[in-house]
Formats: sequence, structure tokens, C-alpha cells
Amino acid sequence: MTSVVSDRARPSVLSTPAVRQILRRNTYAVVPLAMLIVLFIVNAAVQPQFLAQHNWATSMSVLCPTVLTAMAMTLPVLSGNGGIDLSVGPLAGFMSVLISTLLVPAGITSPLTVIPIVIVFGLLSGAITGVLVAYVRLPAIIATLGMYLFYDGLGTEVLPQAGGSVPVWLVKLNGSVGPIPAVWVVFAVIALLWTLVSRGSYMRNLLAVGGDERTSYTAGVNVARLRLVTYSMGGLLACLGGLMLTGLIQGGDGTVGPPYTISAITAVALGGISLAGGRGGLLGGALGGGVLFLIQELLTDAHVSVYSVSVVDGIILIGALALNGTVEYLRRRSSVSRR
Amino acid sequence: MEGLSRSFGETRALNSATLRVRPSEIHSLVGENGSGKSTLIKILSGVLRPDSGTLVWEGEARQLGSPRSAQGMGIATVFQETLIVPEMTVRDNIYLGTDGLFRSGHRKGDEIAGARQALSDLGMDGLDLDRPMWTLSLAERQLTTVARAIIRPWRLLVLDEATSALDAQQRDRLFDYLRLARSQGRSVLFTSHRMDEVLGLADWITVLRQGATVATMGASEASRGGILGHMSGREAHADPAVAEPGPRRGGAGQQSPQRPVLRVAELTLRAASKPISVEVRAGEILGLAGLEGQGQVGFVECLCGLRRPVDGQVLALEDNGETHVVRSYRGANRLGIRYVPRDRRYEGLFGPLSVFDNFAITLWGDLSRLGLLRRQQARKRFADFAESSRLVSASPSRTISILSGGNQQKVLLGRWIAMRPRVLVVNDPLRGVDHNTKEELYGLFRRLAADGVAIIFLSTEIAELLTLTDQIAVFHEGSLVAMLPTEMSSDTDVVAAMFGADKHDGSADD
Repeated sequence: MTSVVSDRARPSVLSTPAVRQILRRNTYAVVPLAMLIVLFIVNAAVQPQFLAQHNWATSMSVLCPTVLTAMAMTLPVLSGNGGIDLSVGPLAGFMSVLISTLLVPAGITSPLTVIPIVIVFGLLSGAITGVLVAYVRLPAIIATLGMYLFYDGLGTEVLPQAGGSVPVWLVKLNGSVGPIPAVWVVFAVIALLWTLVSRGSYMRNLLAVGGDERTSYTAGVNVARLRLVTYSMGGLLACLGGLMLTGLIQGGDGTVGPPYTISAITAVALGGISLAGGRGGLLGGALGGGVLFLIQELLTDAHVSVYSVSVVDGIILIGALALNGTVEYLRRRSSVSRR
Repeated sequence: MEGLSRSFGETRALNSATLRVRPSEIHSLVGENGSGKSTLIKILSGVLRPDSGTLVWEGEARQLGSPRSAQGMGIATVFQETLIVPEMTVRDNIYLGTDGLFRSGHRKGDEIAGARQALSDLGMDGLDLDRPMWTLSLAERQLTTVARAIIRPWRLLVLDEATSALDAQQRDRLFDYLRLARSQGRSVLFTSHRMDEVLGLADWITVLRQGATVATMGASEASRGGILGHMSGREAHADPAVAEPGPRRGGAGQQSPQRPVLRVAELTLRAASKPISVEVRAGEILGLAGLEGQGQVGFVECLCGLRRPVDGQVLALEDNGETHVVRSYRGANRLGIRYVPRDRRYEGLFGPLSVFDNFAITLWGDLSRLGLLRRQQARKRFADFAESSRLVSASPSRTISILSGGNQQKVLLGRWIAMRPRVLVVNDPLRGVDHNTKEELYGLFRRLAADGVAIIFLSTEIAELLTLTDQIAVFHEGSLVAMLPTEMSSDTDVVAAMFGADKHDGSADD
């Protein structure tokens, strides 16, 4: 009986066309969002200092590179056909080396020059990957493994341990602007730009190519160019992640980047994004990064050793994929039975 | 389009084909399987590029670099496969590809109105544009792909078997739309496996055979028989005896009627198709024919337990009178029903292994005892097989890749024959085999039949069926529409049945 009442009550809120459309476009994000909220509450309950002002800013800046590299990973994965970018971690790490050993010693410290250099570097690096995948038609996992090794080796060669110096403004990006963590500003800028991009047709093309490449090609989508642009934007996001990482560690370090590749893959899976492509969105990568970060916070609070954290990460990755499959199965089944 | 040629490796799919479509015209392209229809359409839609030949569009020679450039010129194509993005909405599927990379091609409101209009033209007024594509029925999906084509500013609409999933009412609605478009000066090029559609809708008809244009005629002067004759390369109503080239089967077929070994009881392949009942006797060679996708492959897969029919059963009849239902592939194997799949070159050949190992790989299950292989017995079977198939091989221990294509095929067939099947089901086994090897393999099949093996032989080549089989079962739209005794049938009879013989026309649906 109660179910009848609630069924009748529900449409009044959720049936406005606008709300329905937002829900339909972003159904994949419901599960990661719920996980994020639950983990946030658990963290706040377990760690008394979790919500404290100073900790809040620190947490956000630790979280920031994880989220940005996860977003960088999201776009190639969405493009389907085995799309992935393993190089996001080392590429982000290489930014710290580039800034602290090349740009700063050369006197290039102004944000107005450093930020454009980072952006162009990311776009170009991503474009090289994109050409290899979309035009030379190498399997993405191999092409980006090559890029991974390249940046990993180059970074470690130049700066095998932490060192160098960074501009002050970059460190401040990890502090607070008044009561607001400065990282929020970075996220807000990216969110704004992304909203502009997704108001156009890019997301529709991306999800179509990831969903069914042949259909997209015959319908007139320029599949190769779309992939090229997608990997370029991924490279850009990875380098922005590297910029924030440089400020976080306040220097350069050739070995700091690679772990972010693994966390990015895990975050993408946690974000409800289909690793086969065609289902998900940039928000999913961000949410997944947040979920992963909150899980690691809990583990740190419980004094779990670094090695055990890696074991847990593996379990989370596999669990996230299994969860994706289950959610997808239930969604299809409920949708079929409703008709 | 003139003098178009296109080869795939050594296969020449199109050989100087010519096609001329005028404004305000509905033009039908007909031909048997493999006559080059689909290749021609892929060239026209920008998916494939021709090796030679020119495309003249509105008086100018043009090159089509991609589907997008074809659409830009005004050629919109609906492909044979129902191409959709399952996760996306109906509206997104319809307007897919009309945008730039970042910039939308249309306002959202215009898209909604345009999609509504197109769907309503096709008789799908109530369809929710926000529904994900995978929730639609097959017919709705197919009509959505048509809608995707007609919302573009087209002047030539190409439909490649675009009505296969539609019911009679939906088809009529589509045809009305096409006639209306013709009256507005636009042209349509379509292929269909239904002869009544070709004769009822087209103004002009172009017939392709073996990649070349063999006839172009006005619909008023065309007759069913004339078209069929052009497709098969023989005059209509010719003496059946003419269609009797190669040698017929030897004495084996004339023996007293053999016992049945396989019975198909009321087998229904698709929801709307008629149940099929057939009996196959030991020593009989039953041919299966039909245009692409008419159910013959599904039928074969049901026979060997790879697919579950909608309804009905496949029964294997043992010598001792016992009857078993075929329920699974393993079960079928245990009952002596062996299936040789179609893509043997890719699915069945172990390149680095020797000729002998390739042959014997299926035998070890039968021939091993306590986990030990009995090589001697396998060698004997190989020797028998090499003898009977005239397999030319330097040494059985050489790798199989040194053999000619034809000899590789022989080894692969031999692998299944060596298992001593009661029923051998083969799916287009002689595709791409040269003439002499073909003759030798015909001999191999005939000897097998003479030994009492029932052979079910699916082929896309009618001449092959006429040469080898005792009876030919013809499939159309998931039903068995004709059972032709080979001796009394001609090429034209088979083709006519493949396109749906007279009495089945129009009644095939629901």
C-alpha cells in the first residue's frame, strides 16, 4: 500500500522535463555520487579534524591532482575502441620537473607564461598520442604505454629525487582564498569551461563514437579527428593536474607521477564510466577521484600500511568494475520490465 | 556511376559496373548474393573508394572521401545492418553526424521538430525522442536509421535492404514517402530481397551479376521472369536440362530409400516465420539456399545445437530406432552431427602446426586412452583421408601454411570427416576454392554420401547446389519456401524461390 502512495508522489518532483533530462543524461553518476556522500559522512564521523578549516584546504589540494588526472583518463576511455591514456601520471609528474628545473631557472615564473606553456605542452603531448591512436591506429594501451615510459624515464633522468624550486603563486594555489580552498577556484574554472564545451556537440559525438564507431562514421562523424581532439584534451587536463601537483609538493620530482595513472584508472571505474566507452562523462571521473581519495583517507586514519593500501586499491578497482556491471544489468532489466 | 571496379584481395567484388540514376526516379538494384550490390552502395555512400571508375554527380566527376562528403553532396544512405548507438536517445541517433566537432549543427528545438516530422513521415508519430535506442523494437530501430537519412538535405536516398524488419503497413508508409519525394524531384536507389517491392516501387531496374551490370530496364517492360533470368545468367523458362552442368552423383543416390537420420519437427526460426519440417536420410545431400540473412544460417545452427529455435525440435534418429532431441552443441556432437563453420580460414587453421596436427586435432578426444594419444590410429585415418581426397602434400609433418588454399581447405574438412559423422553440416565449404579442388571436393562429398553420411550443404552458389545435391531447400524471410528436387530444377527456379515465389508474395508477414 505504501508503495502505491510513494509511486504517486514521486512523479510530481521528478517528472519535470528538465529534471528528467538531467537525470537521464547523468544516471551513471548516481552511484558514485551516493558513494561520495556516504564516504564523506563516514570520514567526518571517524576523524574529528576532518572538517576543520586547515585540514579541509590540505585535503582539497591533495585531492586535486588525483581528480584532474582521473578526468584526463576519462575522455580517452569514453571514446571507445580500447581507449585509455596510461601516460597521464608520468605526464603530470613531468610537469613538476619541467617547471622546477627548466622554467624557474630560466626566469620564467609568471603565471601568465607558465600556465600557457603547461597548456600547450599538454595539448601537444595529447595530440601526439591522438595521432598514434587515431591515424597510425596503434592500440591505445600500447601507444600510451610508450608515452608513459617516455615521460617516466625523462623525469627520473633529469630529477631522480625531489628538488628544484617553484613560483610562490603555485604554492598558494594549494592554500586558501579567504575561507575557500583555492583549489575550488581551479575546479570552478574547469567546470565552467567544460559546461561550455558540452553545450555544443562534442559530448554527443564522443559518446556516439564510444558507443558505436561504425554507426558514427557512416552517419558522418569524423571519428579520427574526434579521437585526436579527445586525447589532446586529455593531455591538457593531465598537465593541469601536474601544475597543481607541482604546487602541492613545492618542487620537482621525477618519480612522483606514475602512481597517478593507476589511481586515474580506478577513479574512472569508480565514476561509473564504462571502460568499453560510450557511457559516462567528465563528472564521473571527478566523482570517482573523490571517492578514491576518501577511501584512502579512511585507510590512512586506520594506520593501514602503504603496501596494504595497494592491496586495497586492487580490490577497489575490481570491485568497482563488478559494481558497474551489476548496476548496468539492473538498469537494463528494470527498463525492460517497465515496458 | 560508370565503369566502377573494386577488388578485395583477389576477390573482384565489382567489375566495371555501371549505374545511372536520373532525377525524380526510383531505381532498384537487384542481383544474387555476392553480385556486388552492397559494394556498389558502399562506394556510393563514401564508405569504400573504388579502385577505378568514376562517379558523375549532377554533371561533374566527383570523388567521395568519406560518408560525410557523400552526405554533403546530397547522398544519404540507409545501410543493410541497422546501425545505431544503443546508449543514445532516438533524437541523438537521428541527428548523429550532422554536427561539427564542437559546434552543433541545429538548435535543440529544430532537432526535436525535425525528428518528429521525419518519424511521423515514417508512421512513428508517438515515439518518445528521449528514449534510449536500445529499448526500441527492431522495426523501430530500422525506421530510425531511415529517419537519420531523411532529415539530411538529400537528393539521392540509398536504401540497402532497409525494409527487412518492417511489417507490411510500415513498408507501405515508407513507400508512400518515397513516391512523394520522387514527385518533388528527388531520387531513390534501393535494393530488396522482395521481388514484389522491386516491381511495385521501381521506375527503373538495374541487374548486377558477378560485379557487372548485365541489364538496365524500365519497370514497365520488366517481368519477374526476365529479371530472374538476368540475375542467374540464363534465359527465363529455359529447358531445365540446360542447368545441369557437371557430373551428377554416381550410383549412390539410386539405392533403395535409406532410413532417415535427422528429423526437423515444426522448427520455427523467427516469431513470424512458418514452422519447418524436414527429414534427412542417410546418404542424402540436402542443399540449403537463400539470399543473405533469410534464415538458412540460423537453421543450420539449430541443427547442430548452436542456437535454440523459437519453437520446434531437431531429432537425431539412431540406427537402433532410438530418437534423441538435439539440445546443445555437445549433444549434437555426441549424436554424430558435425558442423563445419564458415570462416574456417580464420577459425580453424593453426598456421604454425603441421598438416597432420591440423588434421588430427579433433580426433584426440576419441582416440586417446587414459590420456595417452594413439598416434598410430590417427595416422591411419590421415592416410585414408589423404588418399580419398587426393590431398597433395610433401609430408604430413610440414607446417600447414605451405599448402595451397585449396589443400588447406581439404585438411580442415578432413578433420571433421575423420570423426565419422552421421550427419555432416557444412556452411559454404567451397567458398574461394579453385575449380579443380572444387571438383575433387565434390567427389569427396559424394563418396561420403555413398558411405551413408547425410550431408546438409549450405551454399551461396546456386551452380554448386545444382551440381552436388539431391534436393534444395530454399529459405525466404525465415521460412522454408520451397523444397526443389535438384534433378527437376533449374537455376531460375532456385532464384525465383529465393526472391519469394509468387504465392508467397505479400503473405510473408505476420
